[in-house]
This record gives sequence, structure tokens and C-alpha cells, in this order.
Amino acid sequence: MSATTLSRGKENDLGGSSGYLKWQAKAAPYLFIAPFLILFAVFGAYPIIKSLSLSFYATNGPKDAVPVGIANYSFLLSDPDFWIAVKNTVVYALFSIFLQLPIALGLALLLSQDWVKGRSFWRLAFFSPNLMGQVFVGVLFAILFQPQFGLINIALNKLTGGYIPLDTKWLNDSANVMPALVITSIWMYAGFNMIYFLAALQSVDKDLYEASAVDGANLWQQFRHVTIPAIMPVITFVLVTSTLGSLQLFELPYLLLGNGPGPDNAGLTIIMYLYDRGFVTGDLGYASAVGWTLAIGMLIISLIQVKLTGASREA
Amino acid sequence: MNLREFPFGYAALSMLALALITGTIILLNPPPKKEADLTFWTFAKPHYEAYEKVYHEFEKENNCKVDLQLVSGQGLPQRLQAAFLADLNDVPDMCENEISAAGSFFRGPVEHIGFEDLTDRIKADGLEEKMIASRFAPYTSRGRVFGLPHDVHPVLFGYNRTIMEREGIDVSKIETWDDFIKVGQKVTIPDKRYLIEMSATGRDQLEICLFQRDGGYFDPAGKVIFDNDIAVETMKFYVPLVAKNSKTRIANTLSSSFGAVIAQGMANEYFIGVMLPDWRSKIFENEIGTLEGKMALMPLPAVTKGGRRTSTWGGTMLGITKKCKNKDLAWKFAKFLYLNEKDLARRFAGTNILPPVRAAWKEPAFDKPNPYWSGQKLGRIYANLAPEVPAQYTHPFIGLAKSKFEQALNDCVKRYEAEGDKDFDAFVRQSLKKRADEARRQIARNPY
Repeated sequence: MSATTLSRGKENDLGGSSGYLKWQAKAAPYLFIAPFLILFAVFGAYPIIKSLSLSFYATNGPKDAVPVGIANYSFLLSDPDFWIAVKNTVVYALFSIFLQLPIALGLALLLSQDWVKGRSFWRLAFFSPNLMGQVFVGVLFAILFQPQFGLINIALNKLTGGYIPLDTKWLNDSANVMPALVITSIWMYAGFNMIYFLAALQSVDKDLYEASAVDGANLWQQFRHVTIPAIMPVITFVLVTSTLGSLQLFELPYLLLGNGPGPDNAGLTIIMYLYDRGFVTGDLGYASAVGWTLAIGMLIISLIQVKLTGASREA
Repeated sequence: MNLREFPFGYAALSMLALALITGTIILLNPPPKKEADLTFWTFAKPHYEAYEKVYHEFEKENNCKVDLQLVSGQGLPQRLQAAFLADLNDVPDMCENEISAAGSFFRGPVEHIGFEDLTDRIKADGLEEKMIASRFAPYTSRGRVFGLPHDVHPVLFGYNRTIMEREGIDVSKIETWDDFIKVGQKVTIPDKRYLIEMSATGRDQLEICLFQRDGGYFDPAGKVIFDNDIAVETMKFYVPLVAKNSKTRIANTLSSSFGAVIAQGMANEYFIGVMLPDWRSKIFENEIGTLEGKMALMPLPAVTKGGRRTSTWGGTMLGITKKCKNKDLAWKFAKFLYLNEKDLARRFAGTNILPPVRAAWKEPAFDKPNPYWSGQKLGRIYANLAPEVPAQYTHPFIGLAKSKFEQALNDCVKRYEAEGDKDFDAFVRQSLKKRADEARRQIARNPY
């Protein structure tokens, strides 16, 4: 074999190798994202598209599907149970936003003060309910809310000198179901949201407080004009996630109310309604229509929240 | 390649290595496959424990292997329903289902129901005569029977005898609900003690009263009937017993009819008595030991003198799935568990559950005095009332119908508490019709 042949062969090799490298460079990004794309296509995109198509059928499993056009959607909008579920879910979400989040922020402000002793302990104490599952919390509060023998009624009866009767039915009286749910969720989630606010408060520049104090700002003015703007991105995040979480409420009322919506559907949420129609009554087509209606509603609410809090401008 | 250059370093490499090692170990050591001729699911622990004692005998007799499994009561219907809907093979050969979940399996065309049609087998073996015929009704859809009844579940009134004696009440003189209410007004102390546990918001006890009067949610043809005259009369009778400020309020409830809640209610004399189907009597024996010897039973009061003195609460069916590999063997096992008189008598001693097989009631176990119930012959009292147990009919939308009936109860109680019995009849009719129409509207969408 001559030297010329050798060098030509080497050139070819190099040429081949360079082509392979070029192909590799082009293909690499696609290969890297391929596992995610394949999994998402199978377990994400396909079910999403399938559920959209299912929402136009009355179904009884894959074998029995009858096309019904938009009848699922029109029935849904005229079903009084659906509107009860919407009302309950919205009320719960409003309580989450206007009661639970201020409590969480208040706790965070309190526990970020240097004069509070044992702050680490209190942080853990307030956060710890979130370490328990919703199942356990549901069972626990079902016992605490007992009429006659439950701890909450006994305490309230003693504290109010008998004004609140021992016989108060939290979970068996439609008027008291929502307050019971809100109390339970505050106990469970206020500490969780407090952690987000605490982290945000710790990142606020202390110089801003000093400068505002020099300018004569009082505590409220500091909170209003320094703290709130500084932690606004976190407030928006907590607001959006809490709202979305509230709209998807299921386990807590389901367990607290004994595997059902409670008296007079007072604890019926949109997801409970979806679950009942899809998995108890067995019409997955109708349940898909409920799911899509909820998804569109959640998208609209989130967009409004982001717009109102100005988070999009921040971004 | 230098290991240090591995993307994201040693941590990612270690995790990948661990995943590969554990994955390989799992692949090389698959869990042993259960080789059974029959797989049987039950949701009730007492049933499981009873079957566990006897199924080996069946295995020996038939040279086969049975895999008996206890599955969560919540999980069983959902797993089974999902498997039926998706036409999966991963279903048991036979299983027991709770009565309230049974109807949901009968949705869709009859030929697509996941359970085997047992009608011909039941007829061939003459089981409709041997068992209480009304107990087949809840497991029947469009004239075909898909389940074998496990029980009868007659309902009695179980009460704290010592309180009644202290108050000078002779229960043998209570014949009708009117008599019962009079006694209730005497012994009830508002907010402190009530004659009977009945809910103003839940449907369990109202349903018992509805069945006692031959009412129901659906008729045998699947038509919604919970707004008929019987339902109206039942509601008008029931609401004043549970509504606040009612002159005849003799009932109240805690947040649950089960577990520690009812145990506390009974032990603290908040309730004098409860509606007591046979299965619940065993729960009392197990969970409220302090009342041993103090409790007693009496038939439910009748609606009118000489009328029916019982009703029904709960039930279980045994079904054979269409995917069952050996349906004849499964049917044989079903009969082995449900028809063996000696064994049924033994099982009664452990569960207090009265079997629907009439011949079994002759066994001495049913005449044994029960010390918990003041020495009364529990089995005989239930057996005497069993033939009177009313039929209840199911439907794929039974859950919806129950929920709507409960909503009507809540409407009526609120109205009664606000305005008393003024125009109450008209209100009850209107409320029941409204809720029944809502159910009808939803059911009408079902194309099957």
C-alpha cells in the first residue's frame, strides 16, 4: 500500500468522522429531549387530545361511546349540581385567597422579626401540619369536629360560656360544612404558604427599610410601599398556586365528609362532581367535558390574576 | 471516559448505577406468579375471615386452588369498574360487591355488563325458592340476575334496656310508629338524650323508613319513583322526628353512625337506641363492650297496626366475572360458600349475619341466647322477620337518585324548621318532584 493511498484513506476517515460529528451535533438536542417528548406524547398529549374528543361522546368504557356533539357541555351548564359545585369551589378559593394568604403573610412577618424567641421552632410548628397527608388530616378533623364529644365543640362551648352548643354539627349541617373546610385548610396550608413569604421577606434589602425610616415612613407605610412591592413576585406565585389548588380541591372534603359531598351537597367541589360523574356514574365523556370546562376556567382566572398583580410586566 | 466528566457528576452517575442494578435485580427475580384456578375478591373482613376457614375444604374436594383476597371496600368497585370498562383481563374470577355499588356495574348494554348472567343457573338450582326472593332484586338489571345474595339484613330497633326500664317503658306495648313517638316524647331530653339515632341530613334512616313502606328509588322497570305518594308520606312522617323545634323530635345524630362516634353516643346515653340490621348488631358487640347485657332488640314499629315490623339496610352480592376461566367451578364455589347450611350457621355465630337460605335458619345456632342482647335469641328474632324484608331495586344511577333524595330531605328539614307544618304536604311534594326530575333528566341522557 502506497503512502498516497494511506493518506487518502485517512482523509476519507476524517471526512466520515466529521460528517458523523456534524450529524451528531445536529441530532443531539433532539435526542436529549426525545425521552421527555416521547413520555409527554404518550402520557400527556395523547390523553389531553383524547379527553377533548371524549368530551363530545356519552361513554360507558371504550366499547360503548355514542357521539352527542356539544350536549355534554350544554347539559353541564344547565345542571344545578354543577353550579353548586362551582359556587362551593369559588367560595373556598376566595377564603383561601382572602383569609388563608393574609394569615400566612402575617405569620411570616411575625416570624421574620428578630425579637420573636424560638423562631425556628415556631416555623417548624406552623409548617408541620403540611407534612401530614390530606387523608390523615381529613380523618383527624372529622373526629375533632364531632358534635357532643369533639374537641372543637368542647373548647368552643367552654370559651363562649355555653353560647356555642356542644351539639353544633360542623359536618352534618350544610351551613357549617364550608367553615369546617376552611378551618381545616387554614390549619394545613397557612404554614406552607408562610414558608414562601418568609423566604421572600428575607431577601428584601434592609437598606430600603432604613431609607424609608429616614424619610419618616411608619410601619404600615413601610409594609405598604417597601415590603409588598419587594415580595410581589412571590405573592403572585402563591396567589396563583393557591387559587389553582383550591379549584382542584378533592381529597380534603371527600374524606372529611365521609366519602361524599356532605349534607345538601354543601361540600361538593368541581373535581368531586367530575369524579362522581366519571367514576361512579361511569360517563367518562361527560367527566371530560367537566375537566375541560374547569381547565378553561382555571386558565382565564390565572391570566386575570397575573394581569392584575402585574406579574407579566415584572417578567 | 473520565468518570469526573460524567454529566452532572458523580451523583447522577451513582443514581444511574443504582437504578440499573436494582432494575436488573427486579427483572431477574420476578414475583412468584399466583397459580390459582379461582381468584376471589371480597371487601368485608368478616366474610374474608369466615371464608378463610372453609375454602381449603373446597380445594380438596375439587382438586383446585383458590386465591382468596381481601380488597379495600372503596377500592374494589373502582378497580373492578375500571377493569370492566377497559375490557382488561386482570379481574378476579368472582367477587363480592356492596349493594350500593352493585347498580353502577349495570350501565351500558346488557351484553357489555362485566358480570356473568346467573339467571339460568339460579333457576336451574331452584335458588329463588330456597332463598329470600326479594334479595335478588338489587342485583337484577333488565330482568337478568347478575349476583347471588349473601344476606337478608332485616332491621330491628336495638335499645338500651336499662334506660327503658328506668323510665318505666314496656316496649312490648309499642306496636306502631305513633306508639314509638309517644314513648320518644317521654324519654327524650333535648340536647341531652334522644330515643333513636336518625339523621336530619343523611339518608340512611330515611331510606329504611321508605323501604318499610314499600317505597324505593326505582321500580322494577327502572323508573324513578322517589317522588311518589309513598315517598311523600315517608318524608312527612320522618322530618318532624329529626327537625329542630319540632314537638315530636325524638331523634338526633352525631357525625357518623359508625366507629368511636356511635360508641360514645350509646355509651354516654345520648342515644337510647338505633336502627339495627343484623350486621350492625355484631359491630355493637365488638365495639361497645360496656353495654353487654344492657342492650335488647325489638321489631321496628309498624306504620299501621299489624303492618310490617322490619325493613332492610345494606347487602352484598356475589358475582362471577365474564373473564372467569372456569365458570362452572366458580358457580360451584359460590354455592359452597352461600348454601352450605351448617357452614352458614357457623358463620352466623361469628358475624350475626342472617343468610338468605331459609333451610339454614333451622340450625341451633339461630336459637342460641345472646348475652350481649340481654339473652335474647338474636338469630331467631331476625329470622322471624326475614320473610317480610321488602325488595329494593337498583339502577346504574342509584348513587345519583340517593343523592337527590337526600337533597330533598335537606330541603324539607330546612323548610320545616323555618315554617313548621304549614303547607308542608305541598312543599314535600314539590321538593321531591323537583329532585326526582333532576335525576330523570340526567338519566335520560344515558343512551343505553
